[in-house]
Amino acid sequence: MDSLLRGEELCLAQLFLQSGSAYDCISELGELGLVEFRDLNPSVNAFQRKHVNEIKNCEEMERILGELASTLSFCCNHRVSVCLQEQLQRLEVELGEVTRNKEKLQKNLLELREYTHMLRITHSFVQRTSEVSYEEFPFLEKDTVMDYSSMQRLGAKLGFISGLIQRAKIEAFERMLWRVCKGYTILSYAEVDEYLEDPETGEPSKSIVFLISYWGEQIGQKVKKISDCYHCHLYPYPTNNDERNDVVEGLKTRIQDLHTVLHRTEDYLRQVLMKASESVYTWVIQVKKIKAIYYILNLCSLDVTNKCLIAEVWCPVNDIANLRRALEEGSRKSGATVPSFVNRIPTSDTPPSLIRTNKFTSGFQGIVDAYGVGNYREVNPAPFTIITFPFLFAVMFGDLGHGLIMALFAFWMVLYENNRKLKNTRNEIWNTFFEGRYIILMMGLFSIYTGLIYNDCFSKSLNIFGSGWSVKAMFTAEMWNGNRFLTLDPNVTGVFKGPYPLGIDPIWNLATNRLTFLNSYKMKMSVIIGIIHMSFGVILSTYNHLHFRKKHNLYLVFLPELLFLLCLFGYLVFMIFYKWLVFSAKDSREAPSILIHFINMFLMQGDGVPPLYPGQTGLQIFLVVIAVLSVPVLLLGKPIYLNWLHNGSQRLGMYRVRGYERVRRNSEEELYLMRANDMEEGSSHSDLSSSGDHEAEEFLHQAIHTIEYCLGCVSNTASYLRLWALSLAHAQLSDVLWAMVMRVGLRMDTRLGVLFLVPVFSLFAVLTVSILLVMEGLSAFLHALRLHWVEFQNKFYSGTGVKFSPFSFSLLPSSFEHDGLL
Amino acid sequence: MPSGSWLHQSRPGRPPVRTNPTPRRLRWAGTLRNPTDSAHQPLMRSVRLQADDSSPVHPYLRLFSGVRAGAMVSHSLALPMICFTTLWALVGVVAPFLVPKGPNRGVIVTSLILTAVCCYLFWLVAILAQANPLFGPQLKNETIWYLRYFWE
Repeated sequence: MDSLLRGEELCLAQLFLQSGSAYDCISELGELGLVEFRDLNPSVNAFQRKHVNEIKNCEEMERILGELASTLSFCCNHRVSVCLQEQLQRLEVELGEVTRNKEKLQKNLLELREYTHMLRITHSFVQRTSEVSYEEFPFLEKDTVMDYSSMQRLGAKLGFISGLIQRAKIEAFERMLWRVCKGYTILSYAEVDEYLEDPETGEPSKSIVFLISYWGEQIGQKVKKISDCYHCHLYPYPTNNDERNDVVEGLKTRIQDLHTVLHRTEDYLRQVLMKASESVYTWVIQVKKIKAIYYILNLCSLDVTNKCLIAEVWCPVNDIANLRRALEEGSRKSGATVPSFVNRIPTSDTPPSLIRTNKFTSGFQGIVDAYGVGNYREVNPAPFTIITFPFLFAVMFGDLGHGLIMALFAFWMVLYENNRKLKNTRNEIWNTFFEGRYIILMMGLFSIYTGLIYNDCFSKSLNIFGSGWSVKAMFTAEMWNGNRFLTLDPNVTGVFKGPYPLGIDPIWNLATNRLTFLNSYKMKMSVIIGIIHMSFGVILSTYNHLHFRKKHNLYLVFLPELLFLLCLFGYLVFMIFYKWLVFSAKDSREAPSILIHFINMFLMQGDGVPPLYPGQTGLQIFLVVIAVLSVPVLLLGKPIYLNWLHNGSQRLGMYRVRGYERVRRNSEEELYLMRANDMEEGSSHSDLSSSGDHEAEEFLHQAIHTIEYCLGCVSNTASYLRLWALSLAHAQLSDVLWAMVMRVGLRMDTRLGVLFLVPVFSLFAVLTVSILLVMEGLSAFLHALRLHWVEFQNKFYSGTGVKFSPFSFSLLPSSFEHDGLL
Repeated sequence: MPSGSWLHQSRPGRPPVRTNPTPRRLRWAGTLRNPTDSAHQPLMRSVRLQADDSSPVHPYLRLFSGVRAGAMVSHSLALPMICFTTLWALVGVVAPFLVPKGPNRGVIVTSLILTAVCCYLFWLVAILAQANPLFGPQLKNETIWYLRYFWE
């Protein structure tokens, strides 16, 4: 418990690591997560550190692994591999080669297929056009061959260009051809039936086979240039049928071969990837660890003999034995002859704060840490927050039914907390709720209790013990004569039979002046709870004063604070209880207003109103005087005392006894604690020259603290009235939801009502969960949190510490998980 | 705080006659309302006078049966005070000694004590606020008839 109340004691230790076994020792420490390393080379640039090359190699490996992981769709973790880096590089090269080959083959295949299509389709052109006679080419004969020799007879050079073009471009192509070549070309084209893969984008697209017949060499060149411009794939056009058939046969064989080769290549690729996938997860973790170890090695410094690495760590005192064991283990693993050892050194720096939590307390510690991590070994509000935070939430939430739903939801989360799917989702909002499942459970349970006391369950009251108010007595006393409203008078005998034993009487739920009673009750309750909470906070500060051995704080800070708070506001609480107990309906006409009495107390007037009890004026004057006197004590006491101590020590400095006393008293803990509280102390024993500055600073500090505290007492007490406000809002919302939604369904005629009630209830349920549970729950959570952070914690908690972050492999962030690759 | 007169002048009453029997179920403290009720209706609901007004029924049954119970139980202040004080004293003072030794003993003891203090205080405030009421609940007509004949 001491760890949770105050945090663990940490010490600074030096590790002397043998060069050969440094890597293994640090690896051991990383597995255990015991210590936090300090940077011994803070002035060195990141690029000038010793192990920067190794870190670069690790990043290279991470890159390879990243690419590997993205080509894999699954992975499992077995097998440990050695020589990780070589393996990874070999794997990368191999994969790269295979992929490149595959791409080349695919491109080849595409070309061949296009050629085949082109040949087939142009064949159909020629076959088609042979039936029609062109006037321009009168030498076209019956046989379907475009005879080159007959062309030459005319002396005209008839050329053909054939190829494939994207379907989207064919019209522009045609138009361009027409404009440039002025009709000396003929373009025939037809679409290819199947989708061919476009090599640049990789998407299947439609292509069009075209055949251009042109007349003249210059036109031919123009046509070629235009085709290049439109990214056409040109293929040689065969001059006669035999040639065409040969080419087609050859193409067929080549395509078949290519298919086979491609299949083989894909199989091989798949095999390689499968082998790699078995170990990729392990490799990722290994590379992470290696990189982390080299980072840590960069933080160490070499000693003069260059054989030994020195590292400085913050280590919990209780774990020094474990640290020694880890170093021995590391030395043994690396087979070193000289063992590495640890040495504890005194220091005046403030260690970071370590608080060990389990799965239940970690949530509450989290919300305390969100305000600020505590200073080294100051009192931690978390163990008290475990109960007070859900309690204050429940005071604001106070509904039995809603609390029950909340508790059941949290209970479900707790029961299934080991379910992997619930733990590792990437939904941020769900993770927040899941991390706080124990907090929500406590909040729900306390809400059930406060709902029972407020007698509020889905805005209805439970009548378990029978109401304490009797209507019948009003009849027997003949106090009722058929009016519209009847106010039960507790003065009449038999009307009020005693307070309801558990909570608020159920009759108030039926009354029209319900809020008048409830407001008075809840406001007083909020003030009572608030003042007790704040007094508790002030009392907790004594823990700090005692632990840091500043007894003077007890008399000069704690006592005036407590007196101020209790004399004024504690007396207010007393008056509330007194009025409840002493004044009843008999003297309801003379029942005093507490507020007026309180104000009169400050103004020292008391003549207008009759006293609550004999001797009231005297007591009140006494209390006010004490409270007013405690303010200057709080303001000036500590600076004057410290100043006196300081001057006194200077004057008596020549006496060796005092000097020795001080040296003996300055144990290492006190040394760095005093340094840490330098601001507060204002007088560092080693710094005698700037004492004047320290005095003024100390006085200013104390003045600010006094003003904050005294004004804060008033404002914080009023701030606790939010407990009343939110519980009123919740009750009213709940009431409105019932009256406007549920009752509409319940009041209907039976036959229709049964059907109508189903959608009405679903609407009621949805609105209850979304508005009353989620919205009001978040609101009450926030306000309870604010009450803790500001009103409670500013009485004793400073929260300006640093958290202890040990070097542990389990805490390393995984970039692969972030990218969703693993 | 209405410390003045609560008497209002209005029309004279009529003999009560019972019309629709309301279902006997868990006694929620909701306002009994007839769908035909409106602001200008006669002020009384008709309720038949039962022959036996106060049949003694075990208070425990009252919660579940909705049957007209006996006279209102008079609550003392002393009995609940003793009960609940001992209950929370058990939780806050005795139970901490029964917690087994372990790493979490401190947290559990702190939690028990704080729970006892908070819950006891909350209950105490609730009962003391009602112990000496300075004014009573103001009820509508329908509510009065319902209470008169169903709760007493």
